[in-house]
Amino acid sequence: MNNKKYGEYGGQYVAESLMNTLKELEKAYREAIKDPEFIKEYEYYLKDYVGRETPLYLAQKLSEKYGTKIYLKREDLNHTGAHKINNVIGQILLAKRMGKKKVIAETGAGQHGVATATGAALFGMECTVYMGEEDMARQALNVFRMEMLGARVECVKTGSRTLKDATNEAIRTWAKNAEDTFYIIGSAVGPHPYPEMVKQFQRVISEETKRQILEKEGRLPDCVIACVGGGSNSIGMFAEFIDEKDVELIGVEAAGCGIGTGKHASAFSVGQAGVLHGMRSYLLQDEDGNVQIAHSISAGLDYPGVGPEHAYLHDSGRAHYVSITDDEAMEALRELCMAEGIIPAIESAHALAYAFKKAASMTPEQIMIVNLSGRGDKDVHTIADYFKDRGYK
Amino acid sequence: MENRIEKRMRELQQTGEKAFITYMTAGLPDMEGTKELIRAEAEAGIDVIELGIPFSDPTADGPVIQDASYRSICKGTNLKKVFDAVEEVRRDCQVPIVYMMYYNTILHYGVGAFVEKCAAVGVDGLIIPDLPKEEQQELSDALARVENAPILIQLVAPVSADRIPMILENARGFVYCVSSMGVTGQAADFHKNVRAYLENVKAASKIPVMMGFGIRTADDVAGFMDTIDGCIVGTHFIELMEDSDYNLETAKEYVRNFKEGLAKAAEIGYANIKR
Repeated sequence: MNNKKYGEYGGQYVAESLMNTLKELEKAYREAIKDPEFIKEYEYYLKDYVGRETPLYLAQKLSEKYGTKIYLKREDLNHTGAHKINNVIGQILLAKRMGKKKVIAETGAGQHGVATATGAALFGMECTVYMGEEDMARQALNVFRMEMLGARVECVKTGSRTLKDATNEAIRTWAKNAEDTFYIIGSAVGPHPYPEMVKQFQRVISEETKRQILEKEGRLPDCVIACVGGGSNSIGMFAEFIDEKDVELIGVEAAGCGIGTGKHASAFSVGQAGVLHGMRSYLLQDEDGNVQIAHSISAGLDYPGVGPEHAYLHDSGRAHYVSITDDEAMEALRELCMAEGIIPAIESAHALAYAFKKAASMTPEQIMIVNLSGRGDKDVHTIADYFKDRGYK
Repeated sequence: MENRIEKRMRELQQTGEKAFITYMTAGLPDMEGTKELIRAEAEAGIDVIELGIPFSDPTADGPVIQDASYRSICKGTNLKKVFDAVEEVRRDCQVPIVYMMYYNTILHYGVGAFVEKCAAVGVDGLIIPDLPKEEQQELSDALARVENAPILIQLVAPVSADRIPMILENARGFVYCVSSMGVTGQAADFHKNVRAYLENVKAASKIPVMMGFGIRTADDVAGFMDTIDGCIVGTHFIELMEDSDYNLETAKEYVRNFKEGLAKAAEIGYANIKR
């Protein structure tokens, strides 16, 4: 017996009571993506509801300053403010097709929760979102948005009271109610087929990007850069470029207060594999094998693991993974605001901060594409608090 | 050496007795307390002791066991200390011991080293709720390489259906029949089709069938005596221990009463069948 894996990563490390559920899900998913009607409906909602395609924008001032062509893929312009909605539309259409009436989701920053609540409102489904108590305090605005959209936000008070624990609680609820409930996972994590499914529904990011850059430049980029928490926007941005060996793929994790301080969210920095949330992948853990609490100023990157395909791309050397500290990300965020008039999500600012570093080794003719996965509206309180403490106005 | 679980199951079958198994999170109220509790329960006639190795993210457990795991970790419990405790208990106590743990704890320790250590200190079985049959190869291979290695106990769920024969093939010790959907500790809220499900498992199983999840008293399972060979109490046993401040007499009394209750229920069950 061999389960679908990415090298030694991935798999289905879940309770026996979920195994038939996963098999049903995989079967339904495989049928759906081969059904032209399903794809047509998915594309319809992405275009007329989400507002795709999103622009590929040449950031001219940044390009001049850093001496290389910097393009931004504007996922921040999607309905609900981030790439998360792409995947939610795909999964909720699948839930509808499977006859499920209820959906559940976990959320950290609240973007996936808002996207799921939005999709549930659109398709008339009952929606419960699990969110850590700590995150609910950090992202109060998104809690309110979810409630406005008719979702119930379940406060998770166990463990670190963040995304990791919200996911645990969603898995527990799912195990109990799988017979009528669909679990919409927001990142490229979880048991098979979730990582593959999330990639499929986020692939649109790189499909558009590839077409757009060929139109604008007549060639492929030298590198694409995206932030990595669980890894959904990055796997979506990498998908169409994985087989294009001349395109460098760079994932940017959160180094928090610095890798050396132990207060970070970089699963690759420690280099240890483990099992959490139904998958085997790189995982931050303490000396006893308990999962370590991640830290990042950005709630969306605050996750101790990483999607299994990223683990595979890391080990095979096809993609490179680096990390950016809270301070570096916030500086890049400010620069994008001032130079281009775009307030990015703090998550996306991590990708941008590394792009600025990377630019030093690139020429003016070379091209880099940064995935601007979300907008910063949700982060304004965090941004204000951060800069206030440092004497910025 | 015959595996202690298999030996006990064989003895029970010979006398027609039902098995009783309790779950306790290791390290509560402390490691000394865990050792004392094992000895006390053994004295009272417990058939198997399930010892929970606390983990930070116990996704198969309800609030009571989550909380117990959390408190135990805060007290410094880890796998190494539990191994030490079992090793010490084994000097004077041969009650079958099963570890209930999550797979990450084993991976972190090292699969091969873990299996050897289990065999060396006398751990008889493993229950790993996040390791379904499809993911067991790595561990099964390691278990096969070591003499006196513990048995990997197989779990089945109310929705396992067509998976049951595949899961039970080569299963040893006993089969753990999860009686409700979801997590541990939902009081006697058994799955709606629990009887048909248990009968299905019993028919397919060559080894004893144990029912677990949501059981408090022998009465809760009295109606299933014709299909099960015993049962497992976890959450309720932890609550009982917490409420009595880990009183060993309370534990012994609970075990004795439960065993008597099972014996009575079994007798009535047999009488009904004869009639």
